[in-house]
Order: sequence, then C-alpha cells, then structure tokens
Amino acid sequence: VRRLAVLLGLAVCFLVVELALGAIHFGEPKLADPCTSKPAFSGGGLDGEVQRFALSGLNGAACKLHTTREELVLSFVPAAGTKRVRWDRQTIEDALRSGFDQALHDTEQRGVAGFVIGHILEAVVGAPLDYFLG
Amino acid sequence: VLTVAVAASVAVAFADSSIVVLALPDLYGAFNTSIVGVSWVITSYNVVVAVAAAAIAGLSRRLDVRRWAQVGLALFTAGSIGCAASWSLPALIVFRCVQGLGAAFLLATSVSLLGGLVGSRERGIALWTNVAVRGAALGPVLGGVLTQLFDWRAIFIVQAPVAGVALLATTGAATIPREERARRRQGALAADVALGFVFAALVGALFLAVLLVITVWGLEPIAGALVVSALPAATIAARPLGRGLRLVEAVAGGVLLLAAGLASLALLPRVSNLLVAVSLAFCGLGIGLAVPVLTRVALHQDAGLVRSGAITVSARHAGLVLALALVAPLLTSSLDHAGQRALLGGTKEILDANVPLRKKVPIALALRDALQSAKKGEVPDLRKPFDDAGAGSNEDVRHARDSLITTLESALARGFRSAFALSALFALLALVPALTLRKRPA
Repeated sequence: VRRLAVLLGLAVCFLVVELALGAIHFGEPKLADPCTSKPAFSGGGLDGEVQRFALSGLNGAACKLHTTREELVLSFVPAAGTKRVRWDRQTIEDALRSGFDQALHDTEQRGVAGFVIGHILEAVVGAPLDYFLG
Repeated sequence: VLTVAVAASVAVAFADSSIVVLALPDLYGAFNTSIVGVSWVITSYNVVVAVAAAAIAGLSRRLDVRRWAQVGLALFTAGSIGCAASWSLPALIVFRCVQGLGAAFLLATSVSLLGGLVGSRERGIALWTNVAVRGAALGPVLGGVLTQLFDWRAIFIVQAPVAGVALLATTGAATIPREERARRRQGALAADVALGFVFAALVGALFLAVLLVITVWGLEPIAGALVVSALPAATIAARPLGRGLRLVEAVAGGVLLLAAGLASLALLPRVSNLLVAVSLAFCGLGIGLAVPVLTRVALHQDAGLVRSGAITVSARHAGLVLALALVAPLLTSSLDHAGQRALLGGTKEILDANVPLRKKVPIALALRDALQSAKKGEVPDLRKPFDDAGAGSNEDVRHARDSLITTLESALARGFRSAFALSALFALLALVPALTLRKRPA
C-alpha cells in the first residue's frame, strides 16, 4: 500500500510540475494588441526600416478593423482556410491606407531623418500597396 | 508449442484493436479518404468484436470450444490475408470485420481452451489475462515498427501466420467439455463495467498519444513506438506492485494512476517526448495494476469460462467503441480550432522573424506553396523553405524555423487536450463500479 501511495503522490507531483511549467497557456499564440504594440522586428538598415514600417502599417489597419494583424494577413490568403474576410474591399483599403498614414506619421516624429525616411518608405511600400489594392 | 501458439494468437487479437493506429496516416494517404473514413479501420474491428462476443455469450453452452476456436482462428487468418491484400478502403473495412468476427470467437473460447491446454482453469485464466494486457498495450508499438520497416500491409501479413499456426496446432488439442450452466461470480458484472471504462480510457493512451507524437510532432514510427513503449514496459513492471494489495486498493489505485497519466497528457506544458513517455508510464502502471485484478474477478474459474470470457471481451471492446465514438468528433473539432490557432501563431512568427526581406518573402511564399501542395494525410515539410534559405549557416533563419515549428506543434498539441481529458474522465468513471467490489486480496 505504501508503494502505491508513493506512486500516486509522484503522479500528483508530476501534474503540479506540469502546471508550474506553464501547462495552462501552452499552445496559445501570443498575439499582441495591434492598437498598443510596436513591431517586434529588431533588424537594422533599410531592410529593418522597411519591415518596421510595413508591420506598423499592418498594426494600424488591424487596429482600425478591430482584429489582429495576423488575422488580417491570413484573410488575404484563401488557402489558409481561416475565417472568411469579414470586411468589404473599401473598408480594408481604407484601413490599410489609414494604417500606413499612421506609420508614416510615427516615422516622421523621429526628426528630419525620420521625415525623409518616412517619405522614402511611403514610396517604397506605397507602390506595391497600390498595386495590391488595385 | 500449442499453448504458445494459442496465447500468441490471443495477444495478436487483442493488439489488433490498436495495432493500425500508427499506420493511419499511411492509410489516409493510400486510400485518399477522410479522417472519419480511415477511423473505421479501427472502429469496425472493435464494433464487430463487441457485438459478436455479446452474441457468443448467449450461446456459450451450445458451443464446442475447440471447434469454435478453430473457426475463429480460420476467420482471423482469412481476414488478415484479406486486409493485407485490400485494394480499397471499403475492402479493408470488410476484411477488418471478418478479422473482428474471428477475434470474437477466438477470444471468447480461448480462456477455456488455454485452461484445457495448461491443465488448470486458474492457470489458463492467469495466462489469458497476461497475454490480453500485454497484447493490448504492445499493439501500437508493433504496428509502428512494422509500418516503418515495411508498409502498413506488413501489419496484417505478420498476423496471418500467427493465427494460422495456432489453427494447425489446435487440431491436435483435446476436446474441451461443453460448459455447464453456472452462475457468474458476484462482482463479475461490476468488474466488466469497470473494464469497459478502463479500455475506453485506453483510447487516450493507445490512440491519441500515438497520433500526437507521430502525426503532429513528426516522429518516425519506430521513434514513436519507442516513446509509446513506456506504456507496456510500465504495465509489466506494475505486476509485483499489485501483490499484497486488496482488490479495491489495486483497482482504485490503478484507475487513479491511469487517470493521472491521461490528465498529465492533457496538461503537457511543452513539446516533449520525455513528458509523454512519463505520462504513458503512469498509464501503464495503472493498467498493470487494475486490469489483471478486474479480469480475474470477471473470469472466475467456477463460472462458465466461455460465457464469462465472451462478456468480458465484449465489455472491453464496447468501451473502446464508446470512447472512439465520443473522442473522434471531439478531437476533430478541437483540432480545427487548434489549426486556426497554429496558423495565427505561425503567421506571427514569420512576420516578427528577424530575417531580411530578401529571405523572408521567398520563405513565406514557399511555406504557402508547401501547405497548398501537401497531399492528403501528409504533414508538409515546413523546414525545407528555411533550410533552402540558409538555416544551416544563418542563426536568424534557423531561429525563425525552430520558432515556427515549435509554435505549430504546441498549438496542435493543445488541440488534443479535451480528448485526453475525456479519456481521463472515463478512467475515473471506472472507479464507480470498482468501488462496489468486495474487499478481498488482489
């Protein structure tokens, strides 16, 4: 009986260890709030600036649509099999333009260099965006 | 030789409930079917065993044990050959039903047959109990090894000669006298109900854990079989632990260990084969403690062994069928949600990956193509786009690859949580009939 009690005790301890290791939140994607978070990308150079600008624009658009940037991106990929696009074309277009305007505004706040970089990025990211939105 | 041949065929017939689990992805792809379709390869066998064994229980006093064991072995051999040669999913399911019918006759009559072969009903019951527990626990391991070394058909090719040799061997066996009308021992029904719930819980340990490590975490069948082998190893190791325990102590302790093992599978905190193996070891200890004791109550030597054997076989497989019927739709629904979470998490990893655009865009496009072009039942190779982009030499790309894979595997593993929890609940339900058993030494 003692050995059985020890085994049962070990089983309970194992469950407690699993809970302590974070079992409750295991497997949940940690999606950031697009209205309050900044892009997590930390790369440098022009490539880094372009990616931060694009991610910031996506955040702004997702915030306006009350969704996450991940859902917004996947809504453009039919093969992903995620929820159908919940917004009409005009709403998405307005949200993306608003998001990138906000990203431009944020970049401009970084002084003269930011103003110049912002307008270059608007041209770099804006052209494919216009093409994408038709 | 005769005893070994019959015992081996009994072990194979019990193993058959779960032996094709590791071959399901191969079957899914080979027959271009759905998850529900392929699940019938397992369900059909267990349904036929449960129903046929229940029917045999009613006919037990009219049966010639040796003759019907031979009929069972012949059907099982023919069914195995048919399964190995199957050309379509419906054909495979039909032959699995033939196998199940043969298994029902074999399993129901084999308790009595083994008792006659070893010269004592008590020793026959003990031998039957041992091979039954080990056969059921070893099923997925055997199936995994055969599938990886050869092909899913090898699972059935191997079974045919085992049953065939037993069939030939039984021709030389002495005739077993027909059963007298005998009342089943008090508590036998409670033991059978408890066994039904324990086998329902086994769906979590034998089926779900295997699907998790092989299909979701991508382990090769042999490596997966190694992880899953913690269960039969612990089942065998539990045997000495049961000595000296009262019946209720052994059953309640075993059932609680099984429930705890399944609960720990439901609460996995990370993608870890070690944690799965430890959880399965707790399940195995629980099975090793509870099942032999419950079987001995269900199959007392003074009761009609064919009838008792048929009822207990029917109860076990009915438990498996009940659990499969409830767990399969629950898992399908949970995995749908888990798939959505995995996609969101994967998208986040790609967007935030500290990888330059000239590498990130081709990786994202290649991932999309890999997902779109994956064949049915095939998990796409999501590592390749990263490896092609230099994951071997670039730490950022390698980190992005590992983060994506871990995120996807974690999200999908979480999808198994409710199914494991339901299995743990089945184990706890076994406590109800088990606690009605009288206190006596195990």
